[in-house]
Amino acid sequence: MTHRFSARQTLAHLLLILGAVIVLLPFYVMISTSFKSPAEIATGTGGVFGSQALFTDQSCTNLGGTEADCLVRPVIDNYSQAFTKAPLWRYLLNGVIVTASIFALQTLIAVPAAYALAKLKFWGRDAALGLVLFCLLIPVHAIALPIYLMLAKLGLTNSYAALIAPWVVSAFGIFLMRQFFMTVPDDLIDAASMDGMGEFAIIWRVMLPTAIPALLAFAIFSVVAHWNDYFWPRIVITGDRSLFTPPLGLREFKGDLGGDFYGPMMATATIIAVPLVVAFLLAQRRFIDGITLSGMK
Amino acid sequence: MCDALTLSSAASKPQKIARPERRQARAGMALFAPALILLVVILIFPVTVAALLSFTDYTLGRPGISWVGLRNYVDIFSGSSYRKMIVATVLYVLIVVPVSVFLGLGAALLIRSLKVGQSFYKTVYFLPVMASLLAMAIVWEFALHPTLGIVNRTLAMGCGTPVEWWSWFAHGCTEGFPLWLGDRDYALYTLAFIGIWQSFGFNMVLYLAGLTSVPSDLYGAASMDGVKRGWERFRLVTWPMLGPTTVFVVTITTIRSFQVFDTVEALTHGGPAKSTYVMIYAIYQKGIAQNLVGLGAALTVLFLALVMLINVAQRRFIERKVHYQ
Repeated sequence: MTHRFSARQTLAHLLLILGAVIVLLPFYVMISTSFKSPAEIATGTGGVFGSQALFTDQSCTNLGGTEADCLVRPVIDNYSQAFTKAPLWRYLLNGVIVTASIFALQTLIAVPAAYALAKLKFWGRDAALGLVLFCLLIPVHAIALPIYLMLAKLGLTNSYAALIAPWVVSAFGIFLMRQFFMTVPDDLIDAASMDGMGEFAIIWRVMLPTAIPALLAFAIFSVVAHWNDYFWPRIVITGDRSLFTPPLGLREFKGDLGGDFYGPMMATATIIAVPLVVAFLLAQRRFIDGITLSGMK
Repeated sequence: MCDALTLSSAASKPQKIARPERRQARAGMALFAPALILLVVILIFPVTVAALLSFTDYTLGRPGISWVGLRNYVDIFSGSSYRKMIVATVLYVLIVVPVSVFLGLGAALLIRSLKVGQSFYKTVYFLPVMASLLAMAIVWEFALHPTLGIVNRTLAMGCGTPVEWWSWFAHGCTEGFPLWLGDRDYALYTLAFIGIWQSFGFNMVLYLAGLTSVPSDLYGAASMDGVKRGWERFRLVTWPMLGPTTVFVVTITTIRSFQVFDTVEALTHGGPAKSTYVMIYAIYQKGIAQNLVGLGAALTVLFLALVMLINVAQRRFIERKVHYQ
């Protein structure tokens, strides 16, 4: 099928391509720089992926290596330095531990609460819903200072607990799951109940499986927010590198940076940004739905 | 008392009651209890603590604490560095919100009008929303590096070409292009640019969703009434129908702009000359880094009040708009 040439369509494409160039510019800079040698970075040469000519690693010769030993490919050197100059594997592992724990705990707390709000009549239910809706309005930045003080008083700063604890209850998660549970027919629950299922079994074996789409959307929302979060880790992790999350690790890389480290730094940035970007490209619709979920309230 | 009554009436009914009310009441409270406790401990209690501490001179690690009344608030509104904070924060929000909302709407309208390539642009524009803002901020810093960065290098290629009739550009060619993040006249605008770059794809997606919900027969009706030109159609049909979406987009963009922190902390530290000293960074710097908890708490309270105000304004707006639907 061919499209008739249309000036209007062409103009729209031109504008959108211009926008796309600006939007993609930093991604291009990040990946391209991570492929280049220090000399290419300093002179702005090397095209998109650098010439990949072997060069002598200065820090290697300083340690007494011979010229021949110290010849490296820029791309390999940048990415291996990203992992050797800083414990990047550890940062990534911390990122996984923190985001996974937060999501697991949020689910554990939010799903029963949402079920209670949606399907059980109990004294104070309206007030409880009101509380959840009110808490939706409190931005995390407003509670950062007092929570930091509480954690400091308990001696819990610089710990996984400090990274995870403030996030275990998500008013948004409760509200979202409640909205979804409202649409589940009561008959389903009554039938399960007459089969002798307790409330817990009903929640995890009847309700949750029906709510997988909502839970998945919430998972994406939660994981993206906490993998990328820099504000909170910055506050509660001071100095202990073994607890750094990926953004903190990258920030530290920038902190002790000389001119020659742009290659490895961009390699680190690429490694940190890539997991979510790839996941997004693979499941775009789910990601867009998940991230824009906050549009539902 | 009430419970017993309903229970006995339920028991006397002949039909099967799968879930007696009392059991529901007990289970409901038990299941909501963990969330309740945590919401109070993690959200409500800290807000209260912040409000109380804002009237004290508390610092972490010192045993004494005394009431200072409104002194922290007076300090905020009389100190020159805080005036700079308010200017930087407000300016940042006033730049980012309109531009990001406008670009989001513009991109959505353009994308909707396309015959091919809709999903390509949608994906591209949404990428910055997904990527770690801190990582991308550091990349932008490198791209904007005065000598090594791609931006100034590209600009320098324009020197000697007709672009030089633009006096700003000619000045850049002779005196050097701006330092961007290192120049007090440009730093805040540069951060605002990064903020817009990161956020407008989110707005675009919300507007795309809003556009699909505009009933297409409205356009038919409009064209029968003689509204044929694109701009008129937009002004009379699309824009009013997007009202609720716009209210939401503006609210969320405003709240998020007030929360800007990552780019400031990583790239400018509030400088140069406090030109990028925004509110959340001030809370972090005063309340946590410098341990002036009272001041930080007062700033926190102001920030919270601001966010609540925006939320109330949004609700008012929505209530007035509701009869459009």
